[in-house]
Amino acid sequence: MHLAGGTRRPSLRYFALITAIFSAVVVLYISQTRMMTAARGREAGMRELVRILQLTDLCISTEARYTRNPAVTELTVAFQDHPDSLEHFPSGSFWTPPIMEKK
Amino acid sequence: MKFTGIERQLNILDYALHSLARRPGRHLSITFIFALVIFLVASFQMVTASLKHSADVLLKTAPEITVQKMVAGRQVMMRVGDMARVGKVFGIKEIYPRVWGYHFAARNGANYTIIGLDPARQRQLPPYLDGVKMPLAPGEAIVGLPLAKLLDLGGRRVFSLARGDLSLKSFRLAGTFPAASDILTGDLLVTNIADARDLLGMKADEITDICVSVANPAEVRTIAGKISRVMPGTRVLTRDQIRKTYQAVFSWRSGFGSICLLTALAAFFILAWDRASGLSAGERRETAILKVLGWQTTDIITLRFWEGGAVATMAFLLGVMAAWLHVTIGAAALFRPVLMGWSVLRPNLELVPVTRVSDFIIVFTFTVLPYLAATVIPAWHSATVPPDAAVR
Repeated sequence: MHLAGGTRRPSLRYFALITAIFSAVVVLYISQTRMMTAARGREAGMRELVRILQLTDLCISTEARYTRNPAVTELTVAFQDHPDSLEHFPSGSFWTPPIMEKK
Repeated sequence: MKFTGIERQLNILDYALHSLARRPGRHLSITFIFALVIFLVASFQMVTASLKHSADVLLKTAPEITVQKMVAGRQVMMRVGDMARVGKVFGIKEIYPRVWGYHFAARNGANYTIIGLDPARQRQLPPYLDGVKMPLAPGEAIVGLPLAKLLDLGGRRVFSLARGDLSLKSFRLAGTFPAASDILTGDLLVTNIADARDLLGMKADEITDICVSVANPAEVRTIAGKISRVMPGTRVLTRDQIRKTYQAVFSWRSGFGSICLLTALAAFFILAWDRASGLSAGERRETAILKVLGWQTTDIITLRFWEGGAVATMAFLLGVMAAWLHVTIGAAALFRPVLMGWSVLRPNLELVPVTRVSDFIIVFTFTVLPYLAATVIPAWHSATVPPDAAVR
Protein backbone atom coordinates (compact mmCIF):
# COMPACT_ATOMS: atom_id res chain seq x y z
CA MET A 1 0.00 0.00 0.00
CA HIS A 2 1.31 3.42 -0.97
CA LEU A 3 0.57 5.78 1.89
CA ALA A 4 2.85 8.77 1.59
CA GLY A 5 4.46 11.14 -0.91
CA GLY A 6 5.02 10.94 -4.65
CA THR A 7 2.98 12.01 -7.67
CA ARG A 8 1.51 8.53 -7.97
CA ARG A 9 -0.63 9.05 -4.92
CA PRO A 10 -4.22 8.08 -5.84
CA SER A 11 -5.57 11.02 -3.85
CA LEU A 12 -3.61 13.57 -5.87
CA ARG A 13 -4.57 11.92 -9.16
CA TYR A 14 -8.18 11.91 -8.00
CA PHE A 15 -8.02 15.63 -7.14
CA ALA A 16 -6.48 16.34 -10.55
CA LEU A 17 -9.34 14.50 -12.26
CA ILE A 18 -12.00 16.24 -10.17
CA THR A 19 -10.36 19.62 -10.85
CA ALA A 20 -10.39 18.94 -14.60
CA ILE A 21 -14.09 18.02 -14.60
CA PHE A 22 -14.94 20.93 -12.30
CA SER A 23 -13.08 23.29 -14.67
CA ALA A 24 -15.16 21.96 -17.57
CA VAL A 25 -18.35 22.64 -15.58
CA VAL A 26 -17.14 26.17 -14.79
CA VAL A 27 -16.34 26.81 -18.48
CA LEU A 28 -19.85 25.66 -19.43
CA TYR A 29 -21.31 27.87 -16.73
CA ILE A 30 -19.36 30.89 -17.98
CA SER A 31 -20.40 30.23 -21.58
CA GLN A 32 -23.97 30.50 -20.34
CA THR A 33 -23.40 34.24 -19.91
CA ARG A 34 -22.57 34.59 -23.61
CA MET A 35 -25.72 32.67 -24.58
CA MET A 36 -27.81 34.82 -22.24
CA THR A 37 -26.41 38.00 -23.80
CA ALA A 38 -27.37 36.77 -27.28
CA ALA A 39 -30.84 35.85 -26.03
CA ARG A 40 -31.24 39.24 -24.35
CA GLY A 41 -30.65 40.91 -27.72
CA ARG A 42 -33.69 39.11 -29.13
CA GLU A 43 -35.93 39.66 -26.13
CA ALA A 44 -36.82 43.32 -26.84
CA GLY A 45 -38.22 42.42 -30.28
CA MET A 46 -40.07 39.43 -28.84
CA ARG A 47 -41.67 41.59 -26.12
CA GLU A 48 -42.82 44.00 -28.82
CA LEU A 49 -44.40 41.06 -30.64
CA VAL A 50 -46.22 40.08 -27.43
CA ARG A 51 -47.52 43.65 -27.10
CA ILE A 52 -48.71 43.96 -30.72
CA LEU A 53 -50.34 40.53 -30.88
CA GLN A 54 -51.70 40.89 -27.29
CA LEU A 55 -50.36 37.46 -26.36
CA THR A 56 -50.84 36.04 -22.89
CA ASP A 57 -48.96 32.74 -23.24
CA LEU A 58 -45.91 30.99 -24.61
CA CYS A 59 -46.32 28.49 -27.44
CA ILE A 60 -44.79 25.32 -26.00
CA SER A 61 -47.37 22.53 -26.14
CA THR A 62 -50.20 22.75 -28.70
CA GLU A 63 -51.98 19.50 -27.92
CA ALA A 64 -54.71 20.93 -25.67
CA ARG A 65 -56.02 24.42 -25.13
CA TYR A 66 -55.14 24.39 -21.45
CA THR A 67 -51.51 23.54 -22.18
CA ARG A 68 -51.34 25.99 -25.12
CA ASN A 69 -52.73 28.85 -23.04
CA PRO A 70 -52.46 27.85 -19.37
CA ALA A 71 -52.75 31.44 -18.14
CA VAL A 72 -56.18 32.12 -19.64
CA THR A 73 -57.73 28.69 -19.52
CA GLU A 74 -60.66 27.52 -17.42
CA LEU A 75 -59.99 26.65 -13.80
CA THR A 76 -61.64 23.24 -14.16
CA VAL A 77 -59.15 22.03 -16.75
CA ALA A 78 -58.58 18.57 -15.33
CA PHE A 79 -62.29 17.86 -15.48
CA GLN A 80 -63.19 20.04 -18.43
CA ASP A 81 -65.12 17.47 -20.40
CA HIS A 82 -66.93 15.71 -17.58
CA PRO A 83 -66.67 15.64 -13.78
CA ASP A 84 -65.37 12.06 -14.00
CA SER A 85 -62.86 12.65 -16.79
CA LEU A 86 -59.21 12.26 -15.89
CA GLU A 87 -56.27 14.03 -17.42
CA HIS A 88 -55.16 12.15 -20.49
CA PHE A 89 -52.88 14.47 -22.45
CA PRO A 90 -49.21 13.61 -21.78
CA SER A 91 -48.11 17.22 -21.41
CA GLY A 92 -50.92 17.81 -18.92
CA SER A 93 -48.89 15.81 -16.43
CA PHE A 94 -45.99 18.23 -16.82
CA TRP A 95 -48.06 21.31 -16.02
CA THR A 96 -49.70 22.22 -12.74
CA PRO A 97 -53.18 23.78 -12.85
CA PRO A 98 -53.33 27.59 -13.07
CA ILE A 99 -53.23 29.41 -9.77
CA MET A 100 -55.88 31.67 -8.32
CA GLU A 101 -54.69 34.71 -6.46
CA LYS A 102 -56.14 34.98 -2.97
CA LYS A 103 -58.35 38.02 -2.62
CA MET B 1 4.96 8.21 12.54
CA LYS B 2 2.67 11.14 13.33
CA PHE B 3 0.80 12.74 10.44
CA THR B 4 -0.56 16.25 10.23
CA GLY B 5 -4.29 16.77 9.71
CA ILE B 6 -4.17 17.12 5.91
CA GLU B 7 -1.61 14.36 5.49
CA ARG B 8 -3.76 12.07 7.60
CA GLN B 9 -6.85 12.82 5.46
CA LEU B 10 -4.86 12.25 2.26
CA ASN B 11 -3.65 8.90 3.57
CA ILE B 12 -7.19 7.85 4.41
CA LEU B 13 -8.35 9.04 0.97
CA ASP B 14 -5.55 7.04 -0.65
CA TYR B 15 -6.72 3.98 1.21
CA ALA B 16 -10.36 4.73 0.31
CA LEU B 17 -9.50 4.99 -3.39
CA HIS B 18 -7.56 1.72 -3.21
CA SER B 19 -10.57 0.20 -1.51
CA LEU B 20 -12.88 1.45 -4.30
CA ALA B 21 -10.48 0.15 -6.95
CA ARG B 22 -10.65 -3.33 -5.44
CA ARG B 23 -14.35 -3.52 -6.46
CA PRO B 24 -14.41 -1.46 -9.68
CA GLY B 25 -17.57 -2.98 -11.17
CA ARG B 26 -19.67 -2.25 -8.12
CA HIS B 27 -18.47 1.31 -7.60
CA LEU B 28 -18.51 2.27 -11.27
CA SER B 29 -22.10 1.07 -11.55
CA ILE B 30 -23.09 3.07 -8.44
CA THR B 31 -21.32 6.16 -9.84
CA PHE B 32 -23.12 5.72 -13.16
CA ILE B 33 -26.56 5.32 -11.55
CA PHE B 34 -25.92 8.23 -9.21
CA ALA B 35 -24.76 10.43 -12.11
CA LEU B 36 -27.92 9.45 -14.01
CA VAL B 37 -30.16 10.49 -11.11
CA ILE B 38 -28.31 13.81 -10.74
CA PHE B 39 -28.54 14.30 -14.51
CA LEU B 40 -32.34 13.90 -14.37
CA VAL B 41 -32.78 16.20 -11.38
CA ALA B 42 -30.44 18.86 -12.78
CA SER B 43 -31.97 18.65 -16.28
CA PHE B 44 -35.45 19.16 -14.87
CA GLN B 45 -34.23 22.10 -12.80
CA MET B 46 -32.50 23.69 -15.81
CA VAL B 47 -35.41 23.17 -18.25
CA THR B 48 -37.99 24.61 -15.86
CA ALA B 49 -35.68 27.51 -14.91
CA SER B 50 -35.22 28.35 -18.59
CA LEU B 51 -38.94 28.20 -19.38
CA LYS B 52 -39.80 30.26 -16.30
CA HIS B 53 -37.20 32.83 -17.33
CA SER B 54 -38.63 33.01 -20.88
CA ALA B 55 -42.15 33.52 -19.55
CA ASP B 56 -40.98 36.13 -17.09
CA VAL B 57 -39.06 38.29 -19.56
CA LEU B 58 -41.29 37.87 -22.63
CA LEU B 59 -44.69 38.31 -20.99
CA LYS B 60 -43.75 41.65 -19.44
CA THR B 61 -45.77 43.28 -22.24
CA ALA B 62 -48.79 40.95 -22.04
CA PRO B 63 -52.15 42.74 -21.60
CA GLU B 64 -52.34 44.42 -18.19
CA ILE B 65 -55.88 43.13 -17.61
CA THR B 66 -57.75 40.45 -19.57
CA VAL B 67 -61.51 40.05 -19.08
CA GLN B 68 -63.19 36.77 -20.05
CA LYS B 69 -66.85 35.87 -19.79
CA MET B 70 -67.51 32.57 -18.06
CA VAL B 71 -70.66 30.43 -18.21
CA ALA B 72 -70.83 27.09 -16.38
CA GLY B 73 -67.07 27.20 -15.83
CA ARG B 74 -66.25 27.66 -19.50
CA GLN B 75 -65.19 30.69 -21.46
CA VAL B 76 -67.84 32.00 -23.85
CA MET B 77 -67.84 34.80 -26.41
CA MET B 78 -68.38 38.40 -25.38
CA ARG B 79 -70.07 41.19 -27.37
CA VAL B 80 -68.52 44.40 -28.60
CA GLY B 81 -71.08 46.19 -26.41
CA ASP B 82 -69.47 44.68 -23.28
CA MET B 83 -66.50 47.01 -23.81
CA ALA B 84 -68.70 50.00 -22.96
CA ARG B 85 -69.53 48.45 -19.58
CA VAL B 86 -65.85 47.94 -18.82
CA GLY B 87 -65.18 51.51 -19.92
CA LYS B 88 -67.28 52.85 -17.03
CA VAL B 89 -64.48 52.00 -14.62
CA PHE B 90 -62.37 55.05 -13.79
CA GLY B 91 -58.61 54.85 -14.42
CA ILE B 92 -58.64 52.87 -17.68
CA LYS B 93 -56.36 54.17 -20.44
CA GLU B 94 -57.39 51.93 -23.31
CA ILE B 95 -59.80 49.06 -23.99
CA TYR B 96 -59.32 46.79 -26.96
CA PRO B 97 -61.05 43.58 -28.04
CA ARG B 98 -59.32 40.33 -28.89
CA VAL B 99 -60.67 37.99 -31.55
CA TRP B 100 -58.93 34.66 -31.34
CA GLY B 101 -59.61 30.98 -31.06
CA TYR B 102 -58.44 27.47 -31.83
CA HIS B 103 -58.75 25.66 -35.12
CA PHE B 104 -58.40 21.89 -35.26
CA ALA B 105 -57.16 20.74 -38.65
CA ALA B 106 -58.58 17.27 -39.20
CA ARG B 107 -56.26 16.84 -42.18
CA ASN B 108 -53.13 16.67 -40.03
CA GLY B 109 -54.49 16.52 -36.47
CA ALA B 110 -52.88 19.82 -35.45
CA ASN B 111 -54.34 22.66 -33.41
CA TYR B 112 -53.76 26.15 -34.81
CA THR B 113 -54.29 29.37 -32.90
CA ILE B 114 -56.13 31.94 -35.02
CA ILE B 115 -55.73 35.62 -34.16
CA GLY B 116 -57.68 38.46 -35.75
CA LEU B 117 -55.69 41.68 -35.71
CA ASP B 118 -56.92 45.20 -36.49
CA PRO B 119 -55.08 47.21 -39.22
CA ALA B 120 -53.51 49.62 -36.70
CA ARG B 121 -51.70 46.77 -34.95
CA GLN B 122 -50.85 45.07 -38.23
CA ARG B 123 -48.94 48.20 -39.29
CA GLN B 124 -46.72 47.83 -36.23
CA LEU B 125 -45.62 44.32 -37.29
CA PRO B 126 -43.31 44.93 -40.30
CA PRO B 127 -39.99 45.23 -38.42
CA TYR B 128 -40.30 41.50 -37.70
CA LEU B 129 -41.54 40.43 -41.13
CA ASP B 130 -39.48 40.87 -44.26
CA GLY B 131 -41.34 41.94 -47.38
CA VAL B 132 -44.87 41.70 -46.02
CA LYS B 133 -47.09 44.59 -47.06
CA MET B 134 -49.28 45.90 -44.24
CA PRO B 135 -52.13 46.06 -43.54
CA LEU B 136 -53.16 42.62 -44.72
CA ALA B 137 -55.61 42.42 -47.61
CA PRO B 138 -58.81 40.43 -47.05
CA GLY B 139 -58.00 36.72 -46.98
CA GLU B 140 -54.29 37.21 -46.30
CA ALA B 141 -52.54 35.62 -43.32
CA ILE B 142 -49.17 35.52 -41.59
CA VAL B 143 -48.30 32.19 -39.96
CA GLY B 144 -45.68 30.80 -37.62
CA LEU B 145 -42.79 28.94 -39.25
CA PRO B 146 -43.69 25.45 -37.88
CA LEU B 147 -47.26 25.97 -39.11
CA ALA B 148 -46.01 27.03 -42.55
CA LYS B 149 -43.90 23.86 -42.71
CA LEU B 150 -46.85 21.73 -41.63
CA LEU B 151 -49.07 23.24 -44.34
CA ASP B 152 -46.45 22.01 -46.81
CA LEU B 153 -47.41 24.53 -49.48
CA GLY B 154 -44.37 23.99 -51.67
CA GLY B 155 -44.35 26.98 -54.03
CA ARG B 156 -48.05 27.76 -53.53
CA ARG B 157 -49.27 30.78 -51.57
CA VAL B 158 -52.93 29.82 -51.22
CA PHE B 159 -54.32 27.30 -48.75
CA SER B 160 -57.72 26.47 -47.31
CA LEU B 161 -58.96 25.69 -43.82
CA ALA B 162 -62.30 24.12 -42.96
CA ARG B 163 -64.90 26.17 -41.10
CA GLY B 164 -67.06 24.57 -38.44
CA ASP B 165 -69.69 23.66 -41.06
CA LEU B 166 -66.92 21.99 -43.14
CA SER B 167 -67.06 24.63 -45.90
CA LEU B 168 -63.61 25.84 -46.95
CA LYS B 169 -62.13 29.24 -46.20
CA SER B 170 -59.21 30.25 -48.42
CA PHE B 171 -56.19 32.20 -47.25
CA ARG B 172 -53.23 33.66 -49.07
CA LEU B 173 -49.91 33.33 -47.26
CA ALA B 174 -48.52 36.85 -46.87
CA GLY B 175 -45.47 35.87 -44.83
CA THR B 176 -44.13 33.90 -41.88
CA PHE B 177 -42.91 34.87 -38.46
CA PRO B 178 -39.16 34.40 -37.90
CA ALA B 179 -37.91 31.13 -36.42
CA ALA B 180 -36.53 32.97 -33.37
CA SER B 181 -40.08 33.82 -32.28
CA ASP B 182 -41.34 30.21 -32.40
CA ILE B 183 -41.85 30.17 -28.65
CA LEU B 184 -44.51 32.87 -29.20
CA THR B 185 -45.76 32.37 -32.74
CA GLY B 186 -45.16 28.69 -33.57
CA ASP B 187 -48.83 27.80 -34.09
CA LEU B 188 -50.23 31.25 -34.93
CA LEU B 189 -52.23 32.24 -37.97
CA VAL B 190 -52.68 36.02 -37.86
CA THR B 191 -55.25 37.53 -40.18
CA ASN B 192 -57.84 40.30 -40.36
CA ILE B 193 -60.55 40.36 -37.70
CA ALA B 194 -63.31 39.67 -40.23
CA ASP B 195 -61.45 36.66 -41.66
CA ALA B 196 -60.73 35.30 -38.18
CA ARG B 197 -64.42 35.60 -37.24
CA ASP B 198 -65.40 33.92 -40.50
CA LEU B 199 -63.09 30.93 -39.91
CA LEU B 200 -63.93 30.58 -36.22
CA GLY B 201 -67.69 30.85 -36.79
CA MET B 202 -68.11 34.03 -34.71
CA LYS B 203 -70.83 36.60 -35.33
CA ALA B 204 -69.94 40.12 -36.48
CA ASP B 205 -70.24 41.65 -33.00
CA GLU B 206 -68.62 38.81 -31.09
CA ILE B 207 -65.20 39.03 -29.47
CA THR B 208 -63.25 36.43 -27.52
CA ASP B 209 -62.19 38.63 -24.63
CA ILE B 210 -61.36 42.20 -23.68
CA CYS B 211 -57.92 43.60 -22.86
CA VAL B 212 -57.51 46.68 -20.71
CA SER B 213 -54.61 49.07 -20.37
CA VAL B 214 -54.44 51.06 -17.14
CA ALA B 215 -53.29 54.67 -16.73
CA ASN B 216 -51.49 54.05 -13.43
CA PRO B 217 -49.77 50.63 -13.24
CA ALA B 218 -49.98 50.74 -9.43
CA GLU B 219 -53.78 50.54 -9.70
CA VAL B 220 -54.02 47.40 -11.86
CA ARG B 221 -55.35 45.20 -9.06
CA THR B 222 -57.83 47.82 -7.88
CA ILE B 223 -59.18 48.35 -11.37
CA ALA B 224 -59.33 44.57 -11.97
CA GLY B 225 -61.46 44.29 -8.82
CA LYS B 226 -63.75 47.09 -10.02
CA ILE B 227 -64.18 45.41 -13.43
CA SER B 228 -65.21 42.14 -11.82
CA ARG B 229 -67.84 44.06 -9.80
CA VAL B 230 -69.12 45.94 -12.86
CA MET B 231 -69.24 42.72 -14.91
CA PRO B 232 -70.26 39.83 -12.70
CA GLY B 233 -69.73 36.40 -14.28
CA THR B 234 -66.40 37.35 -15.78
CA ARG B 235 -62.89 36.21 -15.00
CA VAL B 236 -60.48 39.11 -14.69
CA LEU B 237 -56.79 38.26 -15.09
CA THR B 238 -53.94 40.63 -14.43
CA ARG B 239 -50.53 40.50 -16.09
CA ASP B 240 -48.97 39.60 -12.74
CA GLN B 241 -51.28 36.61 -12.41
CA ILE B 242 -50.34 35.44 -15.91
CA ARG B 243 -46.64 35.64 -15.09
CA LYS B 244 -47.14 33.96 -11.72
CA THR B 245 -48.99 31.14 -13.45
CA TYR B 246 -45.85 30.25 -15.37
CA GLN B 247 -43.75 30.33 -12.22
CA ALA B 248 -46.18 27.83 -10.67
CA VAL B 249 -46.75 25.72 -13.78
CA PHE B 250 -43.12 24.67 -14.09
CA SER B 251 -42.52 24.02 -10.43
CA TRP B 252 -41.47 20.87 -8.62
CA ARG B 253 -45.17 20.32 -7.96
CA SER B 254 -45.83 19.65 -11.63
CA GLY B 255 -47.05 16.08 -11.82
CA PHE B 256 -44.60 14.46 -14.16
CA GLY B 257 -41.56 16.25 -12.81
CA SER B 258 -42.10 15.45 -9.18
CA ILE B 259 -43.34 11.90 -9.61
CA CYS B 260 -40.67 10.85 -12.08
CA LEU B 261 -37.73 12.48 -10.35
CA LEU B 262 -38.73 11.71 -6.78
CA THR B 263 -39.33 8.08 -7.75
CA ALA B 264 -35.85 7.92 -9.28
CA LEU B 265 -34.35 9.50 -6.17
CA ALA B 266 -36.23 7.20 -3.81
CA ALA B 267 -35.12 4.15 -5.81
CA PHE B 268 -31.52 5.30 -5.68
CA PHE B 269 -31.50 5.99 -1.94
CA ILE B 270 -33.09 2.62 -1.22
CA LEU B 271 -30.28 1.06 -3.27
CA ALA B 272 -27.63 3.13 -1.51
CA TRP B 273 -29.00 2.34 1.93
CA ASP B 274 -29.37 -1.35 1.14
CA ARG B 275 -25.82 -1.70 -0.16
CA ALA B 276 -24.30 0.40 2.58
CA SER B 277 -26.19 -1.11 5.49
CA GLY B 278 -25.79 -4.67 4.33
CA LEU B 279 -22.00 -4.63 4.58
CA SER B 280 -20.48 -7.80 3.19
CA ALA B 281 -18.56 -10.24 5.35
CA GLY B 282 -15.34 -9.08 3.66
CA GLU B 283 -16.06 -5.44 4.51
CA ARG B 284 -16.88 -6.30 8.12
CA ARG B 285 -13.63 -8.28 8.35
CA GLU B 286 -11.75 -5.34 6.83
CA THR B 287 -13.23 -3.03 9.47
CA ALA B 288 -12.25 -5.45 12.23
CA ILE B 289 -8.67 -5.82 10.93
CA LEU B 290 -8.28 -2.06 10.67
CA LYS B 291 -9.45 -1.69 14.26
CA VAL B 292 -7.04 -4.41 15.39
CA LEU B 293 -4.28 -2.50 13.57
CA GLY B 294 -5.09 0.57 15.62
CA TRP B 295 -7.62 2.48 13.52
CA GLN B 296 -10.13 4.37 15.63
CA THR B 297 -13.88 4.40 15.01
CA THR B 298 -13.58 7.97 13.72
CA ASP B 299 -10.89 6.85 11.23
CA ILE B 300 -13.21 4.19 9.82
CA ILE B 301 -16.10 6.65 9.57
CA THR B 302 -13.73 9.07 7.81
CA LEU B 303 -12.71 6.25 5.46
CA ARG B 304 -16.33 5.48 4.55
CA PHE B 305 -17.02 9.21 4.19
CA TRP B 306 -14.18 9.57 1.70
CA GLU B 307 -15.34 6.48 -0.20
CA GLY B 308 -18.87 7.90 -0.47
CA GLY B 309 -17.57 11.40 -1.11
CA ALA B 310 -15.32 10.27 -3.96
CA VAL B 311 -18.21 8.48 -5.67
CA ALA B 312 -20.71 11.30 -5.01
CA THR B 313 -18.43 14.13 -6.14
CA MET B 314 -17.55 12.40 -9.39
CA ALA B 315 -21.22 11.52 -10.04
CA PHE B 316 -22.37 15.07 -9.21
CA LEU B 317 -19.94 16.76 -11.58
CA LEU B 318 -20.60 14.30 -14.42
CA GLY B 319 -24.36 14.50 -13.89
CA VAL B 320 -24.43 18.32 -13.84
CA MET B 321 -22.21 18.57 -16.91
CA ALA B 322 -24.34 16.07 -18.85
CA ALA B 323 -27.51 17.93 -17.81
CA TRP B 324 -26.14 21.24 -19.05
CA LEU B 325 -25.23 19.71 -22.41
CA HIS B 326 -28.62 17.97 -22.59
CA VAL B 327 -30.53 21.22 -22.07
CA THR B 328 -28.46 23.58 -24.21
CA ILE B 329 -27.06 21.50 -27.04
CA GLY B 330 -29.64 18.67 -26.92
CA ALA B 331 -32.59 21.11 -26.41
CA ALA B 332 -33.87 18.88 -23.56
CA ALA B 333 -34.48 16.03 -26.01
CA LEU B 334 -35.41 13.59 -23.23
CA PHE B 335 -38.14 15.83 -21.79
CA ARG B 336 -39.58 17.14 -25.04
CA PRO B 337 -41.81 14.11 -25.75
CA VAL B 338 -43.59 14.66 -22.43
CA LEU B 339 -43.43 18.46 -22.42
CA MET B 340 -45.07 18.63 -25.85
CA GLY B 341 -47.13 15.46 -25.56
CA TRP B 342 -49.19 14.67 -28.62
CA SER B 343 -48.74 18.12 -30.11
CA VAL B 344 -48.54 17.88 -33.89
CA LEU B 345 -47.21 21.42 -34.15
CA ARG B 346 -43.93 21.48 -32.27
CA PRO B 347 -42.28 24.87 -31.99
CA ASN B 348 -38.51 24.93 -31.99
CA LEU B 349 -37.59 25.73 -28.39
CA GLU B 350 -34.24 27.41 -27.97
CA LEU B 351 -33.65 26.93 -24.26
CA VAL B 352 -31.36 29.55 -22.77
CA PRO B 353 -29.55 28.20 -19.71
CA VAL B 354 -30.23 30.47 -16.77
CA THR B 355 -28.90 28.18 -14.07
CA ARG B 356 -27.69 29.95 -10.94
CA VAL B 357 -25.17 28.70 -8.40
CA SER B 358 -28.07 28.27 -5.97
CA ASP B 359 -29.64 25.73 -8.37
CA PHE B 360 -26.47 23.63 -8.20
CA ILE B 361 -26.52 23.88 -4.41
CA ILE B 362 -30.15 22.68 -4.35
CA VAL B 363 -29.33 19.68 -6.54
CA PHE B 364 -26.24 18.94 -4.42
CA THR B 365 -28.26 19.14 -1.21
CA PHE B 366 -31.00 16.85 -2.47
CA THR B 367 -28.67 14.21 -3.88
CA VAL B 368 -25.14 14.15 -2.46
CA LEU B 369 -25.81 14.88 1.21
CA PRO B 370 -28.43 12.12 1.65
CA TYR B 371 -26.09 9.70 -0.10
CA LEU B 372 -23.23 10.52 2.26
CA ALA B 373 -25.58 10.06 5.22
CA ALA B 374 -26.75 6.76 3.77
CA THR B 375 -23.17 5.43 3.61
CA VAL B 376 -21.60 6.94 6.73
CA ILE B 377 -24.29 6.07 9.29
CA PRO B 378 -24.22 2.29 8.62
CA ALA B 379 -20.40 2.48 8.66
CA TRP B 380 -20.58 4.03 12.12
CA HIS B 381 -22.80 1.16 13.27
CA SER B 382 -20.36 -1.47 11.97
CA ALA B 383 -17.30 0.40 13.30
CA THR B 384 -18.62 0.38 16.86
CA VAL B 385 -18.79 -3.44 16.89
CA PRO B 386 -15.85 -4.98 18.85
CA PRO B 387 -13.19 -6.23 16.39
CA ASP B 388 -13.06 -9.76 17.83
CA ALA B 389 -16.83 -10.13 17.33
CA ALA B 390 -16.55 -8.90 13.74
CA VAL B 391 -13.69 -11.27 12.90
CA ARG B 392 -15.54 -14.25 14.36
